[in-house]
Amino acid sequence: MTGAINGQLRQITRRTALGALGVGIIGASVASWPRLSGTDIPGRGDNSLSIAILGTAADAAARQRAIDAFSRIHPDIKVKVQAIQAVDWKDFFTKILTMVAAGTPPDVVYVATEGAQLFAEKLAHPLDDYIRRDAADMREFFSDVHPSLVEAFMYKGSLYQLPMDWNAANMYYNTTAFAAAGLDRPADDWSHLDFRSSLAAMKKARPSDFTPYYWTNRLFGGVVPWLYANDTSFLKETRSTGGDWLWDGFYASDPSRSLRSGGYQWLEPNANDDRVFESFDYLRGLVKDGLGVRPEEGGGNSLVGLFASNRIGTTPAGGYWVQGLHEAGMAEDGFDVQFFPRWKTQRHQFGTAGYAMMKTAKDKDAAWEWIKFSSSREAMELIFPNPATTPARRSMVNEKLYASKGPAHWKVFYDTLDRFPTTGPIPAPPQQAAVETALMKNVSLAVSGDEQQLKQALASMQRDLEIALRRQP
Amino acid sequence: MSTTIPPQERPRQAARPDRPTPARNRKTGTGRHSQRWLAWVFLAPTILGMGLFTLIPIVASVVLAFFRWDIISAPSFVGFNNFAEVVQDPTVRVSFLNTIVFVVVAVALQLGLALALAIMVQEKMPAWLRVFFRSAFFFPLILSAASVSIFMRYLFNEQFGVVNWLLSLVGIPAVPWLTTPGGSAAVVILVYVWQNFGFSFLLFIGGLASIPVETYEAASIDGATGWRKHLHVTLPLLSPTTLVASVMAIISALQVFDQPYVLTRGGPGDSTRTAVMVIFESAFQRLEFGQASAIGVLLTLIIMAITAAQFRLSKRFVFYQ
Repeated sequence: MTGAINGQLRQITRRTALGALGVGIIGASVASWPRLSGTDIPGRGDNSLSIAILGTAADAAARQRAIDAFSRIHPDIKVKVQAIQAVDWKDFFTKILTMVAAGTPPDVVYVATEGAQLFAEKLAHPLDDYIRRDAADMREFFSDVHPSLVEAFMYKGSLYQLPMDWNAANMYYNTTAFAAAGLDRPADDWSHLDFRSSLAAMKKARPSDFTPYYWTNRLFGGVVPWLYANDTSFLKETRSTGGDWLWDGFYASDPSRSLRSGGYQWLEPNANDDRVFESFDYLRGLVKDGLGVRPEEGGGNSLVGLFASNRIGTTPAGGYWVQGLHEAGMAEDGFDVQFFPRWKTQRHQFGTAGYAMMKTAKDKDAAWEWIKFSSSREAMELIFPNPATTPARRSMVNEKLYASKGPAHWKVFYDTLDRFPTTGPIPAPPQQAAVETALMKNVSLAVSGDEQQLKQALASMQRDLEIALRRQP
Repeated sequence: MSTTIPPQERPRQAARPDRPTPARNRKTGTGRHSQRWLAWVFLAPTILGMGLFTLIPIVASVVLAFFRWDIISAPSFVGFNNFAEVVQDPTVRVSFLNTIVFVVVAVALQLGLALALAIMVQEKMPAWLRVFFRSAFFFPLILSAASVSIFMRYLFNEQFGVVNWLLSLVGIPAVPWLTTPGGSAAVVILVYVWQNFGFSFLLFIGGLASIPVETYEAASIDGATGWRKHLHVTLPLLSPTTLVASVMAIISALQVFDQPYVLTRGGPGDSTRTAVMVIFESAFQRLEFGQASAIGVLLTLIIMAITAAQFRLSKRFVFYQ
């Protein structure tokens, strides 16, 4: 080659080299493309049963023993558990919906009361036929589970989930604070006025760095338990017809059989009800007199630590709190639990959770086998080894579960259902997210000001709920 | 500082007869064609990325504003209904108003604080301390806004927060920071400004460093002292930096989400609900992606209008050396 040609070639060669590099990068990206596809998502690209749960990778790992046990019975069904981290259930459901939109829905999803009707309305497949088919196997499960929990998963006469765990809003109290105030354990039927007197006594005994009643602004454990106790709610509660196939088939001799229905319905707002005003006014009084906190929206993260450090007298919570308090170093006799105070009724609020089979499940029979297996005593003992929640099976809520962790009156947890069979689920229609926002955004204002502000907040809540319920889920 | 050269003064290399024309300019049509092809190859990844992840989503978002879509069901065309509903929705109206109030207060505080600290650090601190403060003031910006907000939520807790504990030491009773409209708005603004002023601070530090010392010396000879020097020398010469800082601060503040979402969830009531929060709630909590897109389109138009107004006003108030 001549020098002149060389000069030109050198220029071209450099460009060609850079061009080749660019083409190479694009080529490499294209070549690696399959590794970035949806086949990497658990359960996609193979025939595995994909199960989504709310939690961390550690929570998914904790399910492994149950998966192993399941695989021994069903070696032909491969199971993959996908733990999805989320702030709360609302956030979790959003992520599931995003997976649906992306075309990668899981086959089975662990759904709490908050999302039960959204899933039933839009995403889940009813379990009726499977339950009828395997009635002989399921009889033992239903005999061990209170019908109130099952009814929470009935929607328009069909059953969409089997309850696995649940929690009622009972009242936890600090035994040291009670003793310091000269208070005995409250009676089972203590009233809202007794409760207020207890708070006043605790405040008098320890006026600073202590809150007699700490509550949070949430759908569970916030204002709703007080509304239920006062025989009302912020939504009008009605029941669907149907569901007799289940009640007559499995709960025919249950004393509360006549109370059962085809599922709850919340179709209209009820924030302008006089009893709603009365309940909010009671809470406003607690805040005004320094007996209870002004609730923060969505708060609760710091609650276990504050309670375990003896800075809170009472707070509404369920059996899920025991393990947390134990891990926070609270002695088993440092706290106890009692039924929520009585007002016009002593109806409690509860939330429950269980597996929902998605309409889009690739192999519905396999999905059912997982759901059925998970409801067995063997599986539930593997999944719930400690009191981080209350198992749906009555027989599992026993002394062994609470040994060396407390509380002394752990029987209160399941007795809540037996003693108060009208105890109901979190009001969660298919539009739950919008409804929860409408409630939460008005609670703080309702309990923080004067009577006029309370009325304005409830009027605003009524309007917001009307808008929320008008929306399609 | 002169950064632009008038067109008539620009060197015109191509017109010089004594300079040999570069070989590439004598290329044949085929050579130019291959050069163009090569240029497209190099540009392709960027164009592809921009198209896939910016342009298509923007167009899709605008189109979606005319549909009702809940992810699960098929979208249905609703014309301008989403816009009509959004405009009538009192929560959306309040959230936009909150956002505007937030922008005015937060940006004023952010720029004021950043400028004051930049002048102080640049003028009063020895060089080694300047480095420390530049890092210290910038540090909050690299933290996750959500993590900072969770932490601040503990600090501002009415019963057990450190802030109220400190106030109690000087006899001030507990302030309901996060449970009253005024308190929660103040905390959201404080946390936002604390976390974001570092960026404006760095811009101002850079702007101050580029002001010639001679200008200050001339002002001193003319009898200007103290704040007069800043008023008549620093601020005018810093105006291009102020324009950039304010445009970026306003756009960022209009998109505020993390702090109010984590600290107050928009409450109490709607007192700290912002435009982006309403977009998030509409889309990911109520599954009204069409309405969320409509709100997004409105917010984008507002941001564009404000930015355009800023640049238009800058012709009057920005002084280039």
